[in-house]
Amino acid sequence: MQDVVNQVINTSFGWGWPSWAIALIGYLIVAALLFGIAPFQMLFLTLYERRAIARMQDRIGPNRVGPEGAFQPLADGVKIFTKEDIVPAAADQWVHFIAPCVVVAPTMFMFAVLPWGPGMVPVDMNLGLLFFFAISSVSAVGLMMAGWASSNKFALVGAMRAVAQMVSYEIPAVLSLLAIVLVTGSLSIVELINYQGGLFISTRDVASVPDWGLGWFIFSPVGFLAFIAFFIAALAEGERTPFDIPEADSEIIAGYMTEYSGMKFGLFYLAQYVLNFLLCAITSIIFFGGWQGPGVGWLYAQAITHANPQGGWVFNVLAGVLGVFYFLLKTYGFFFVMVWIRGAYARLRIDQLMDFGWKFLIPLTLVNIFSAAIWVGLTKWGAAEGLAFVEGWSPLMRWAVAFAVTLIVNLGAYLFLARIFAQSQDERTRQDDEVLEQLTNVA
Amino acid sequence: MDLLIQIIFGLLAALIIGAAMMVVTVRNVIHAALWLIASFFAVAALYLTLEAEFIAIVQVLVYVGAISILILFAIMLTRSSEGERLLTTHWWAAALISLGLFGAVLLPTLVGHTWNIPLPPGAPGTPETLSGVEEIGRGFVNEFVIHFEVAGILLTVALIGAIVIAFEERSRRRRVLTLAEEHILQQRQQATAARVSAVADAAD
Repeated sequence: MQDVVNQVINTSFGWGWPSWAIALIGYLIVAALLFGIAPFQMLFLTLYERRAIARMQDRIGPNRVGPEGAFQPLADGVKIFTKEDIVPAAADQWVHFIAPCVVVAPTMFMFAVLPWGPGMVPVDMNLGLLFFFAISSVSAVGLMMAGWASSNKFALVGAMRAVAQMVSYEIPAVLSLLAIVLVTGSLSIVELINYQGGLFISTRDVASVPDWGLGWFIFSPVGFLAFIAFFIAALAEGERTPFDIPEADSEIIAGYMTEYSGMKFGLFYLAQYVLNFLLCAITSIIFFGGWQGPGVGWLYAQAITHANPQGGWVFNVLAGVLGVFYFLLKTYGFFFVMVWIRGAYARLRIDQLMDFGWKFLIPLTLVNIFSAAIWVGLTKWGAAEGLAFVEGWSPLMRWAVAFAVTLIVNLGAYLFLARIFAQSQDERTRQDDEVLEQLTNVA
Repeated sequence: MDLLIQIIFGLLAALIIGAAMMVVTVRNVIHAALWLIASFFAVAALYLTLEAEFIAIVQVLVYVGAISILILFAIMLTRSSEGERLLTTHWWAAALISLGLFGAVLLPTLVGHTWNIPLPPGAPGTPETLSGVEEIGRGFVNEFVIHFEVAGILLTVALIGAIVIAFEERSRRRRVLTLAEEHILQQRQQATAARVSAVADAAD
């Protein structure tokens, strides 16, 4: 973007502006674009979810406003704008006012490191992945503010639940990403996507594999286990249905949103859907290659880049369009899975949620880090790191051995932990029954 | 670029100092905690202007994301005093003492010191990575491995201690029956009542 701005201002018009002004204008344009895109994602996703869930429940869903209900989100938006904004008399006015902003702002920050297509990333940070998850934890503060400032018991209970859930499910999410970071050796999201070229096997592991943009992490045992753990944690972090405990409407009205109305409520809604979009997007980027897909790599190699200034601009456009298409296809696919899970599962109880996170997901992701280390050792290390015996093997052989070993480790760990977890849950229900018997004294 | 950075630095410094002032002067404890969070966040932004990305992100992750939540939880669970007068009647004495100390100790040092900060090596425009994640990682497993391990053991001990404190014998715990359990209880009571009456009928 800055190159384009520089070209237009300094070369075409010849104004000779300083570099910081160019940088500022470039970033402002990108920020404005993203700020426009985020609410549209939310509008689209609400309609998408309502239509999809309606199909699953054997209904039709909103189909009156516009063709197939396409303008329903706009109508909802108009309605929410015209609603009265009610602040409870006992509420803390300022904190009540600021809380929705504190919840929305981090989700907008997170767009800063999200790559949409080849070369289409607002800021290519070295620590993009860490930034993404660090900034997402800020919204917990906003939820806490909302719950406390409402001076409503349901709101406070909802906020406490939301924060407890977010804090405990951040651990399996970050631990499962740590395995992927070990394999790539980088925290940059762009680097993470570049790693996933290839066909079933990543080209970075075996260089002779044809680059069809299909060397995704999901195809390795380490990546698969990390994906399962991460997606479950993402469901909890986005407060999607099996984990929608913070806003369980049959128990605590709407959780921390109880005392909000009008556009403030709309902002919470916006934050939630944008966060869901971002979680789906980051899942597709980390485990399903983001914009990687057949053809994108080839198209981008012909395009104008710093490495290849003689390319054709048509290829830039084509690679961008195809990359964004693949990326959004995967992202909306994951959002469909989220809706699907909402249609299929009932809500968990809070103790079940905590048990599942701490006693099953976290040990599983810890084992996964161990097998990621094995993977790195077998595919990348040599005599210099103390693994002389792998030197003689061909890259394909090394990959195959790593695949087999990590598959055995992960599968074994999963089966073992699943058995232990099921036993502990059985024991727990037995103890619950015992307590019930004692309390009731009825045989 | 320099001017822009200066302006950003000035705004951030004002925000940090202002927020920190609010932390100690505001009456409501929760508001003080929220101002503290704002101050943490501005410090993270200040690290970013120093191009110390990793420290900035860890500041957000640890302080804004975790410690502030801990503070808020602690205040909400233990809060008792609110709206008390925070300034004592002798606040001017405290102000005088702190001003005197500042003038006697800090000011001469600040004025007398020659701020000869070396420019970063390398060509302008290509900043060297300041405390990047790789250097820190290598430091943790090479030079500072003992410190790292000790910190790890300390955290594990704290975790185990928290579990020990939180652990309670299940039967000793007060427990509220859920609706489903009350329903089961009712059914069982009805069943026993029916059985008792059946036994009584049989005895007749």
